[in-house]
Amino acid sequence: MTDLTPITALGGTIARVETFGALSLTENPAMALASLALRKGQSVPSPFGMTLPEPGKWTKSGAIGVYWMAKDQWMVEAEGRAEEDFARVLKAEVPEASVTEQTDGWAAIEITSSKGAAPIKALLEKLVNIDAGAFTQGSALRTGLDHMSVFLIRRAEDRLAVWGMRSSTETLWHALAVAARRLEDI
Amino acid sequence: MTRLSGGLIDRNSSFSFTFDGKTYTGHQGDTLASALLANGVRLMGRSFKYHRPRGVVAAGSEEPNAMVELRSGARTEPNTRATVAELYDGLVAKSQNRTGSLAFDALGVNDYFAPFFAAGFYYKTFMWPRAFWEKLYEPMIRRAAGLGRLSMQADPDSYDKGFLHCDVLVIGGGAAGLAAALTAARAGAQVILCDEDFRLGGRLLAESHRLDGAPATDWISTLEAEFETLPNLRVMRRTTVFGVYDHGIYGAVERVSDHVVEPGNKVRQTLWRITAKRAVLAAGATERHIPFADNDRPGVMLGGAMRAYANRWAVTPTQSAKDPVAIFTNNDDGHRTALDLMSKNVPILGVIDSRENAPRFGDYDLFSGAMVTGTKGRLGLRDIEITKGGVASWHRCAALGVSGGWNPNVHLASHHRGRPVWDDTLLSFVPGADGPAGLIPAGACVGLGSTAKALADGAKAAGIALAELGIKTPEVALPDAEDMPVSQADFWHVPGKKRAWVDFQNDVTVKDISLAHKENMKPVEHLKRWTTLGMATDQGKTSNVSALAVMAELTGKSIPQTGTTIFRPPYTGVSLSVLGGGDTGVNFRPRRLTPTHTWAKSQGAEFVEVGQWMRAQYFPQAGETDWRESVDRETKAVRVGVGLCDVTTLGKVDVQGADAGEFLNRMYSNMMGTVAVGKVRYGLMLREDGFAYDDGTCARLGEDHYVVTTTTANAGLVYRNMEFARQCLWPELDVQLISTTDAWAQIAVAGPKSRLLLERVVDEFDLSNDAFPFMGCAELTVCKGLRARLFRISFSGELAYEIAVPARYGNALMARLMELGADLGAAPYGTEALGVLRIEKGHAAGAELNGQTTAAMLGLGRMVSAKKDSIGAVMSRREGLARDARRLVGLQPVGSTERLMAGSHLFTQGTAHSMETDQGWVTSACYSPHVGGYIGLGYLENGDTRMDEEIIAANPIEGSEMRLRVVPAHFVDPEGERLRD
Repeated sequence: MTDLTPITALGGTIARVETFGALSLTENPAMALASLALRKGQSVPSPFGMTLPEPGKWTKSGAIGVYWMAKDQWMVEAEGRAEEDFARVLKAEVPEASVTEQTDGWAAIEITSSKGAAPIKALLEKLVNIDAGAFTQGSALRTGLDHMSVFLIRRAEDRLAVWGMRSSTETLWHALAVAARRLEDI
Repeated sequence: MTRLSGGLIDRNSSFSFTFDGKTYTGHQGDTLASALLANGVRLMGRSFKYHRPRGVVAAGSEEPNAMVELRSGARTEPNTRATVAELYDGLVAKSQNRTGSLAFDALGVNDYFAPFFAAGFYYKTFMWPRAFWEKLYEPMIRRAAGLGRLSMQADPDSYDKGFLHCDVLVIGGGAAGLAAALTAARAGAQVILCDEDFRLGGRLLAESHRLDGAPATDWISTLEAEFETLPNLRVMRRTTVFGVYDHGIYGAVERVSDHVVEPGNKVRQTLWRITAKRAVLAAGATERHIPFADNDRPGVMLGGAMRAYANRWAVTPTQSAKDPVAIFTNNDDGHRTALDLMSKNVPILGVIDSRENAPRFGDYDLFSGAMVTGTKGRLGLRDIEITKGGVASWHRCAALGVSGGWNPNVHLASHHRGRPVWDDTLLSFVPGADGPAGLIPAGACVGLGSTAKALADGAKAAGIALAELGIKTPEVALPDAEDMPVSQADFWHVPGKKRAWVDFQNDVTVKDISLAHKENMKPVEHLKRWTTLGMATDQGKTSNVSALAVMAELTGKSIPQTGTTIFRPPYTGVSLSVLGGGDTGVNFRPRRLTPTHTWAKSQGAEFVEVGQWMRAQYFPQAGETDWRESVDRETKAVRVGVGLCDVTTLGKVDVQGADAGEFLNRMYSNMMGTVAVGKVRYGLMLREDGFAYDDGTCARLGEDHYVVTTTTANAGLVYRNMEFARQCLWPELDVQLISTTDAWAQIAVAGPKSRLLLERVVDEFDLSNDAFPFMGCAELTVCKGLRARLFRISFSGELAYEIAVPARYGNALMARLMELGADLGAAPYGTEALGVLRIEKGHAAGAELNGQTTAAMLGLGRMVSAKKDSIGAVMSRREGLARDARRLVGLQPVGSTERLMAGSHLFTQGTAHSMETDQGWVTSACYSPHVGGYIGLGYLENGDTRMDEEIIAANPIEGSEMRLRVVPAHFVDPEGERLRD
């Protein structure tokens, strides 16, 4: 184990948490991320015994989550494994595919609602040009948010994850927090 | 006070407000206009050109006259229509466009000079002398012919944006809109209903018509109660849909807190982008007036507006409720106003109907075949002149309602270049068939203006939308409503010699249109510009069609032949603040921070914006008073010891696949697939047109695994081009790409002691020159087991490395290197020192790769391999590019210690300084601590053959010039021994 101390994308040593009414924002630096891209002509593998999801979808099994990213390409999440070389673990699962470490390419912000789906929907409506009503549990997509490219994952009716480019996490947090604060009344 | 009985105001509430400093009271449900009228205030503003006293004309967003500066201080909002400003307790408003008081406006003198302000005034008058334009005419015009004033302070409020998606968007909450929304919502479709008013109902609120025998508000209340229970329906009051954009996207502004004193924690307004599969346009209609002599006095208003004020707000535009009111009309609808006023005990002078044998609808004096031909009253209407059968007579009259017929609001239906079509029966334009796709106009905005027809047509439009979406339409019972046919005369203005206003807001009269006609400004677009008709905040909502009729009469053409101007968004004014979307200052755009940002900040670094990135520019130390001192020190630290620089911002693209090598051969101009595993190669990329556009390195980490680095500026562009090539140009290649720019913190460790320092952090890795030579790369671990990548590459010309670790460790690694390198003179350096180091070494950067340079100009002509094809290779050999003889050279001042300026142009000594004799330019320049003076890089004609020649660098803008010696572009270690050491 290295003796260097990591920092989060927001520059802290512990994850930032902020609550606005029904919505809580939590930085999730423990989530590992790696990309999985098929080689030409390769059959679709089943890493960790999982069926890779269709476009626009996210699936989860245990601590592993997978979402579709592009044709023949997925992102694989692993809870609590950000300090490991998770890309190597994934590569061992799919030795024929191209795997690239993405853990620190992005930063995950987990948003939870204490009042069910409505606050999440209202938040989405303020942030991204998607049909928020149709973005139900298990949905995942990439879209623009305040001029940043993000992945959105609806982990549950009351939970939404936003993966943003690590370097602009401050701006992303600002955008999410401002929108959440303005929804405090609902 | 002129309050009548009834109305949709809450008389139990009492709102105090001020207008021009005087305090008045009104009620909840009032607009500023209705509350002012209730207080007997008719004079609300001054006209644009002539500063004529003006009062309210309309009762909605079409208002041309009653514009005020709403609120105070930084929140002042000019040009706010009093007719849509919802009254609240504490409202502050001021009249605008006046010099002095509203009642005595010094610039009212303009009215006497009216002949000078005729059509084409601006074009004719202020043409010369030219020098007077900016200094005299423009400020004068801005002062005299203005609308409201800006506060010149920053807007203290917040604005928001949002996105909504629906099956059916219903625009307008009147009879047609409510029927459409009800139908679509009951069908289970996702529905959004927007209305610009604060209360649903539209014209239903302004009329006395009954629905199912009861007041219309009963039906509306029942509907609103049902709406509350429908989760698939979103009702948005105070929301104006202002434009139709591509692909079913509608722009809408919700006025979230315009009706409160201060927004508090809320935003003032929200800009919504609504994506709708279908939309029902139920925008209603706007009444037009009939121009006649002196028709612009306060107290003269649209007949329908007068009815709205009486029915909805229980006021008349008179100063006393006992004063008589008259109606001037060319149609049946005008008579309704008289009837409604009579039912509220307002004394009626009579109805003046232009039609011979005009119908009678009630017990009032009817002036059949008559016209209003003049008015009196200095600051408000006092008398009108009625002419019947050639005989004129004056009558005491405190308010006059003018009804010239109704124009369907075709605006949104005419976006996307939709052209409204003329309806000879309705005598108005209706939406054409070529309007925006998916937008279905209904109700009064297609000319179906009776309540029954509007209700039915709204429901029908919803049914069409639902059917197109494959949703079953439910049976919806609509209330019984009036369905009176309205007949109307083709009568557009009262002929006469005096000024008869067509466009109140822009002071355009019938005479102005006549003058424009004489001056051959006949086409409608010319007419608009020549007279300013239909411009400014109201965009001629109450005037355009009347003006077309006048022009048609003059040209002898029909109104449809005369045509309309183009309709464009926004329907009503939209503030720039809400279009801006909210964030200003640091969050105006995304800001990218490097992994060592926190550390750099703690070291007191000065930062510089590099694209979206914030990079450390230099690190001032105690005692350093000038940035140059810091930069010189940092540069020297690299040359003699070891320097550290965060270079994470350089783009990184992970390239994998069996054909990765071949793919890179085609992307780079030079051969890349042959680089050995564990090695790095410098590469150059060309654009399709053969110019060089990016350079960087490519490291081969495995048999089919490469990492491409790009410049900071082009990281996104190169990645995009690679994706395009992968997906579209060569889909047959087995290549996978993904950006890893943010994933790895990359730190340049540069200087003769860099190896010594790195040896202190690597875990059992042989850094000796033999084991890890120049242009080597490796995956290894550092600081007890942290995975890392090491590249032996140099931008400074010194022995140097770049080390990459997962981004979260960048901050700690930087601190560790500084700590362990203290005895080696380790120092951080920023982008300024980085720039000096690379100029000293003759490395090209953005200033050299400016999109106009060829590989040969960079001295890299041989890097465009002839053994293979690559993007841009063929085009780089075309004559025009291949012939370019400018070459990158080093430049050193001769006999001068003056600062050498980048951008200076190069000339052969003894020649004139002109475009024809131009020999090139200085691309980069800096003070070089290594050389002990200023140095530069530049492109010079045949530069490679002109070493030691003295040339001139001219800076004609500042009138300076300097002698330079042409030298090789390597001021440091030209043999390249240091970096291979």
